[in-house]
Amino acid sequence: MSDLLTDNVIFRNVYAFVVSGLGAEWAWLAWLTAGFVLVMLVVNAVMALATGYTWAERRLLGRLTNRLGPNRAGPSGTLQPLADAIKLLTKEDIVPAAGDRLIFNVAPVLMLASVLLAAAVIPFGAGAFVTDLNVGILYLAAVSSLASIAVLMAGFSSANKFSTFGSMRAVAVLVSYEIPLVMALLGITVLAGTMSLVGVVEGQHAPYLLVAPLGAFVFVTAISAELNRTPFDVTEGESEIVAGYLTEYSGMKFGVFYLAEFAALVVAGGVFAALFLQGWRWDVLPSYLWFIIKVGGFAIAATWIRATLPRLRPDQILAFAWKFLFPVSMVNVAALSVQRLWLGGADGALTSSDLWLMAAINWPLALVAVAVMGRIARVRERPVRIAAAGAR
Amino acid sequence: MENAFQEAVFWALAAVTVGGALLVVTQRDMLRAALALIVSFLGAAGLYAQMNAAFVAVAQVLIYGGAVSVLVIFAVMMTRDVPAANRGAPVQPAALAAAALLFAGLAWAIAQAEWTLLPDALPGPLEAVFVDSASTLGTLLLTDYVLAFEAVGVLLLAAVIGALALVRER
Amino acid sequence: MLGFGMAKGFRVTLRNFLRKPFTTQYPEERLPQHPRFRGQEFTWYEERCTGCASCAKYCPLGIIRIVTGPDGGNEQEGGSYSIDVFDIDQARCMYCGLCVEACPYDALHMGTNFEAAQERREDLVITVDDLRAREKRPSAWFRPQLAKEQFDPYAENADWKRVGREPYFWHPNRPEWQPEEQAQQASADGDYEG
Repeated sequence: MSDLLTDNVIFRNVYAFVVSGLGAEWAWLAWLTAGFVLVMLVVNAVMALATGYTWAERRLLGRLTNRLGPNRAGPSGTLQPLADAIKLLTKEDIVPAAGDRLIFNVAPVLMLASVLLAAAVIPFGAGAFVTDLNVGILYLAAVSSLASIAVLMAGFSSANKFSTFGSMRAVAVLVSYEIPLVMALLGITVLAGTMSLVGVVEGQHAPYLLVAPLGAFVFVTAISAELNRTPFDVTEGESEIVAGYLTEYSGMKFGVFYLAEFAALVVAGGVFAALFLQGWRWDVLPSYLWFIIKVGGFAIAATWIRATLPRLRPDQILAFAWKFLFPVSMVNVAALSVQRLWLGGADGALTSSDLWLMAAINWPLALVAVAVMGRIARVRERPVRIAAAGAR
Repeated sequence: MENAFQEAVFWALAAVTVGGALLVVTQRDMLRAALALIVSFLGAAGLYAQMNAAFVAVAQVLIYGGAVSVLVIFAVMMTRDVPAANRGAPVQPAALAAAALLFAGLAWAIAQAEWTLLPDALPGPLEAVFVDSASTLGTLLLTDYVLAFEAVGVLLLAAVIGALALVRER
Repeated sequence: MLGFGMAKGFRVTLRNFLRKPFTTQYPEERLPQHPRFRGQEFTWYEERCTGCASCAKYCPLGIIRIVTGPDGGNEQEGGSYSIDVFDIDQARCMYCGLCVEACPYDALHMGTNFEAAQERREDLVITVDDLRAREKRPSAWFRPQLAKEQFDPYAENADWKRVGREPYFWHPNRPEWQPEEQAQQASADGDYEG
């Protein structure tokens, strides 16, 4: 609790406000209120950014494809997310009769919960975070792995063969891309010397995007696959498997999945900004504003990629993860570890000049590694039948 | 205040863990049993977090809740359609007796043990584990327990090769 | 080289972003159709119609209903009927245009409007009042005289005098722009080429 009061600016201010208003014996109430306010602030901010991003993505996708996005609901279509929400709320809530009702209802909750839990460790300003875990980076990997459980629950409780199949495909993709994701995060841990995101931001004298480009590339690719964004969105390609594990969901349950997807994108943008783009550090703008701009930049880049790249086949996706991303991420970790041992100070800390030197080494290394691995890991042209054990 | 709040949290997490475990053995539907197992894992992770073992808690969620659970659910799904699997077997008296005996033995052992709370000021290495558990555990794994670490690596390699051998097309 | 294909793709979408989008903002802007578009709403000239009901007879679906009365005017040519009921059931019309082909007086033309959705099936029947009240935008389909002069139904209305194949030389209200020798020539040998 002392950590919260000293490091966490928002918590401290609300706590002091309540204590000054009510007196010291209400300290427990001040504590609860401060925590509540902090959590509500972050959760609402993530949700608001997610809904705003649905609007921004549709407009941006439109402009990137020679058309306008939604521009009827409200000025320039800004009330379109509200219209979407009303539509989803007024739809009939269907639960498959043969399916498992409890699991069917809990799956979207778990999906959104894993996203919001991940938003708890992101530092979005100087001293502004919900909690500063010592193992923040590992915590991110852990809660993103809960999403695969939610996907499985959604698919298997739908009593629909398409849903089951779609969810198994989705989980295969999710699980395959967890490993490059964790390896990219491991590279960041090696660079920063700490797993706490606040510590990473404070030690990031040069943006790790430039210092470890290979790690950034692996992270962006892996997180795109985790978020089911194009080019990895086989699970929700409408032309493919109806809607995969989401087929039977209608109304607000689908709305929660939809929101969870966009909130996950916002949270991933936050993680990327914190880990690779120096977080909130810049003296010119207020820290949280700069952070939001960086998250917006990530979101715009994700939309641009979505508008440009075609969708990969599931076997191509898995081959890409195992044959290309995983070795490349290992090269990244190895290179960063060697450089840190060589350049790091007494406790292994890296100064700004060390980081720029590493950047100069790592960029050519990245290009060489990508070229070499790309040549080695040729994907087979014909789709490979993913055979289940014993099924011939 | 802290003590009462922490006790309440402990009881809640314990209820979640034990409740999940009870649901695992009493649920008819295997998928629900697997999901109750996940709930139990998350409860255990909460207990670890309450004991300030942050790394172990997060590792519990990541490995048990994220990977082992997925494996368990896949296994359940492969056998789910067998109707006989869902029919509950009648409780057999021999099994009940053995379980009661085991429970009695464990309860006696737990009651006999000397449970002491850790003192507030811990000796050096133990304090380090609670302050920055990840790096301390990492150092321990690579210095004192490196043999076990490497053995686990070899075990994982064997598991991966076994999985590949199972799914390889002939 | 690896990645150049993706870079080219990104360049394409970036260029798309910087271009003006070519979305037509319906319903404020509408894309015009071609002049021979077989639209949904018929253009009918009562001044040319004699009530012969050839259109109703030709219709393969039988959706045109015509009830006429005497005293429609045009006594000089033998008299037209007065049209009391002229219903076209748009719900079952297949826009084959046989009624338009059938009309000997070029009174019925395909229209150009296609936004004729109604909320009830009963409202889809075009009545004679609708036909009288509408703007006269005849499609140039099966009307070579309109196509020849490149009449654009989306730009202007067409008067009943313009849309006929023959000059209507015998009509007492024949237009003043009709040259006398053309009218005499047509009346002499019955050849309507003029």
